[in-house]
Amino acid sequence: MPPIRTARNRKPPPDGFEDIEDTLLEFQNKMKDAENATHEGKKRYETVWPIFQITHQRSRYIYDMYYEKEAISKKLYDWLLKNGYADANLIAKWKKQGYEKLCCLRCIQTKETNFNSTCICRVPRDQMKDEQTIECVSCGCRGCSSSD
Amino acid sequence: MLKSTYHLNQKPAEPAPSTSAAPALPPLPPGWTEHKAPAGHTYYYHAETKQSTYKRPIIEPHFLQQEAPIPSYASGAFAGGFNAGQFQGSESSARGGHASFRGGHGYQDRRREPADRPKHKYVIPGFDAWVLVKTKLGRRFVHNTETGESFWKIPEDVLKGVLEFDIAEARKKAGKGPAEPEEKPVATVEGPSKPDEAGGSSDEYEEVEVEVTDSEGEDGPSKRLRTEEPPEDVDVEFDEDDIAYQLQAMGEEYGLESGEYGFGDEEMEEGAEGIPLTEDDSKALFRDLLEDFVTNPYKTWDQIVEEGRIIEDDRYLALPNMRSRREFWDEWSRERIHQLQEQRKKQEKQDPKIPYFAFLQEKATPKLYWPEFKRKYRKEPAMRDAKVTDKDREKWYREHVKRLQMAHSTLKADLTALLKGTPLSALNRSTSIASLPPSILTDLRYISLSPRDRDPLIEAYISTLPPPPEAPLSAEQEAELVAQRRERERREKALAERERRVQEAKRKQQKDLAYGRGRLREEEMELDRAMNVGKSGLRAHLDDADDIPIPEKGDD
Repeated sequence: MPPIRTARNRKPPPDGFEDIEDTLLEFQNKMKDAENATHEGKKRYETVWPIFQITHQRSRYIYDMYYEKEAISKKLYDWLLKNGYADANLIAKWKKQGYEKLCCLRCIQTKETNFNSTCICRVPRDQMKDEQTIECVSCGCRGCSSSD
Repeated sequence: MLKSTYHLNQKPAEPAPSTSAAPALPPLPPGWTEHKAPAGHTYYYHAETKQSTYKRPIIEPHFLQQEAPIPSYASGAFAGGFNAGQFQGSESSARGGHASFRGGHGYQDRRREPADRPKHKYVIPGFDAWVLVKTKLGRRFVHNTETGESFWKIPEDVLKGVLEFDIAEARKKAGKGPAEPEEKPVATVEGPSKPDEAGGSSDEYEEVEVEVTDSEGEDGPSKRLRTEEPPEDVDVEFDEDDIAYQLQAMGEEYGLESGEYGFGDEEMEEGAEGIPLTEDDSKALFRDLLEDFVTNPYKTWDQIVEEGRIIEDDRYLALPNMRSRREFWDEWSRERIHQLQEQRKKQEKQDPKIPYFAFLQEKATPKLYWPEFKRKYRKEPAMRDAKVTDKDREKWYREHVKRLQMAHSTLKADLTALLKGTPLSALNRSTSIASLPPSILTDLRYISLSPRDRDPLIEAYISTLPPPPEAPLSAEQEAELVAQRRERERREKALAERERRVQEAKRKQQKDLAYGRGRLREEEMELDRAMNVGKSGLRAHLDDADDIPIPEKGDD
């Protein structure tokens, strides 16, 4: 039987975790609220949008802390990824040119769409035919092309 | 039916005039009755023709004609300018919040339209302090440059001067003729009213004006201003300079804002004050703001904005839009975090044991077993700290509880031993109770005595210690020092040993010497006695020698 790891007997997180702990806790609470929010009056696909948004925000926060502000150590960053605080695959995309603002991985998954194309939110705003606000079905993104 | 639709067509323009003209309305034509709709507005009904209309039916046809142009103006302002502006605004800005801002501006734009501004200023002959100001739309008022007061209604004493001025101007006009085409329209329109003013007293003036308001109600500015302007706002006191400033500020605001997509407030501020803020200044202001309000640079910008404290501050508007603010926040937080990291590097780490030991000192009792204790205080931060393992916590708890049951004197002796074992660099005369070294704080011997007994003991011990060594020493140096001290001690000990040995040797020697001397003296005494021959002569010697058998006798 594998040892049961609880908050009490786990190894302590790497140094610097206390600094970002509050913010992460806030994200966690937001996520809990979003999970428990009612789906009344929402469309079926709309119910998961807040989950995607919060995941995106939290990943972005950790990404910024490590790559932009250099506020956390490599050790802590790896630990955060390992413990699911951020989506490593999404961050991997952000490092690529043209994907700097990518909202979620679903939106670039061409195989899931009818015409093997990316999501509407990947289209730059100036290439859209009419000025309209779009919200993509998969995550509610309003446009995440790098040129926006 | 057709007729009623015609009347309803007029409806959108109607509400404004009808509400304002409420006090003295012309009588209704026969057959018409006035009613109040459930929504609150009034409408009129003709029982015989079964007509109903929102517009008040009036007998005189020329009134209707007069009113006709007004709706066109008003509806234009509503449908065309205002609505279109608002829609554009809300469309261009994706967020809902911006739309309200837009709406606000749209409203201001509309209000600006009829607003006025001073155009010409004339000195009133005979009244040096007073000036007569004509506005762009042809209204006029007097302004006192000394007191700063302005009146639409010309005061009695100044009126004379104004009349003189008017007469002079009329004369000038008559003399010059069509020389000034631009000035003329205003002047000619005002011409007819002036004789009125000149001829009649100010009372008459007012009466005329009252009539006019009754018939027309409130309407577009273009018509009314030309005819009977100044009396229109009788008895209302304005500080016209202020109004002028406001007008100007609003104009500038409008001009700036049309090009900008950001928030209007700040442009207004700049426009009105006219103090130029350089980019650096505004950045510095925003930096001050962040330093005042934000304690934790690890937060996200969204959190900071959600908190809302910085938004309420004026300095928030130092930077023009959200993007620049966010960029500046990124920059600032990066700097701040690096500062914090530097600081943290400098200061030494606090041992996580210290808070736990303090907690143990406070809460641990022999009455609770470890599992009970653990459950009771599981919420305490000292018990949740991940840096200390549970195993260690348990071990320390058990040891501590065991020590609590020991005799008081033993505990005291242990504490003294602990204090004596602490090096001078860590514990010396300048140490206070509050700043004891971690090596003491993380020792069970320190916490096993209650602070009431312990603190006096430590204080007494500290007061006997010498002052701290000059330079704080590193561990290596300390070790070296210890080695040196030990060496010296050894040397001293060896010296003492040798000294002791030497002393002993000396003593022995002296003893020998003394013994030898004693022997010598004895011999001398013997010799003396031998030499000493008294009257008794040899006899004495013989007597002495009686005791012992004398071999000489036998020899003899």
